[in-house]
Amino acid sequence: MAAVDLNTVRSTIEGRLATELALSPAIPVIFHNQPYTPTPSNSWVQCLVSFGNNNYLTMGGTSGSSNSVIGVVVINVFTAKGVGPGANLTIGKRVRDLYNRILVSGVHFDPPTGPEVVANPSPEGFFQTQVRLTFETFEDL
Amino acid sequence: MAFYRGQQGSVKFDDAGSSAATITSTRSWSMTVEKESLDTTALGATYRANVGGLISGSGTCEVLYTASSADETNAFIEMVNTANDEGAALFELYMDTTGTKKISFDGVITSAEYSATVGEIEVITLNFVTNGAITLDI
Repeated sequence: MAAVDLNTVRSTIEGRLATELALSPAIPVIFHNQPYTPTPSNSWVQCLVSFGNNNYLTMGGTSGSSNSVIGVVVINVFTAKGVGPGANLTIGKRVRDLYNRILVSGVHFDPPTGPEVVANPSPEGFFQTQVRLTFETFEDL
Repeated sequence: MAFYRGQQGSVKFDDAGSSAATITSTRSWSMTVEKESLDTTALGATYRANVGGLISGSGTCEVLYTASSADETNAFIEMVNTANDEGAALFELYMDTTGTKKISFDGVITSAEYSATVGEIEVITLNFVTNGAITLDI
């Protein structure tokens, strides 16, 4: 029993995506606080993991008690502009299937939202969609 | 002035009625202690008179399901299904986990609601009544 290791949770989420997108056809994936210069017309994925609400689950003090740790994963999928959404949604499906209702290493993933088209892509010059999902893990003290 | 929050509470239980152990996944508990009132109004009186009668208690406890069988929690959530229950199970409901402020009594678990809802943690709600004396040490 110990406080939740946020980096373990983060690496569980990020590692799952990195492993999938390393498979053919491989797609570059970047995470929070990493520099990246995208190549025009080449697909790439950005994964942003954030921790949010923490709630009491059970009675108790700093031992023998449990908390709920909830977070959100935002995954931006960038593909070439002006050639339709097909390639983007293909990647979006890979991403979505990776987390949809999955329980892995104690992290429960909720059904994803998206891929939703982003009206104003950032950075510009790509067709961008976004997949978002919440996750929950339990902290046993 | 010291105030307390719900997470400072706890529940201990022993189905054998001897040494209560903590129910580790307790989310909440509540208890009502009631005293019957006996009408002793004299014939022709203007005001009604009452005296206290029998005292009893009942309450509810919510437990998160953990599939644990290593502690008293499993006995607690299955107690309702026990045959020949003599009401000897020991309950201790604490207002403060680190202290001794508690309500203790022997009792019977009268119902258990086991539930599972998609997207939510599975919860078991147990209802109980007291058997005999209730000790308020709060």
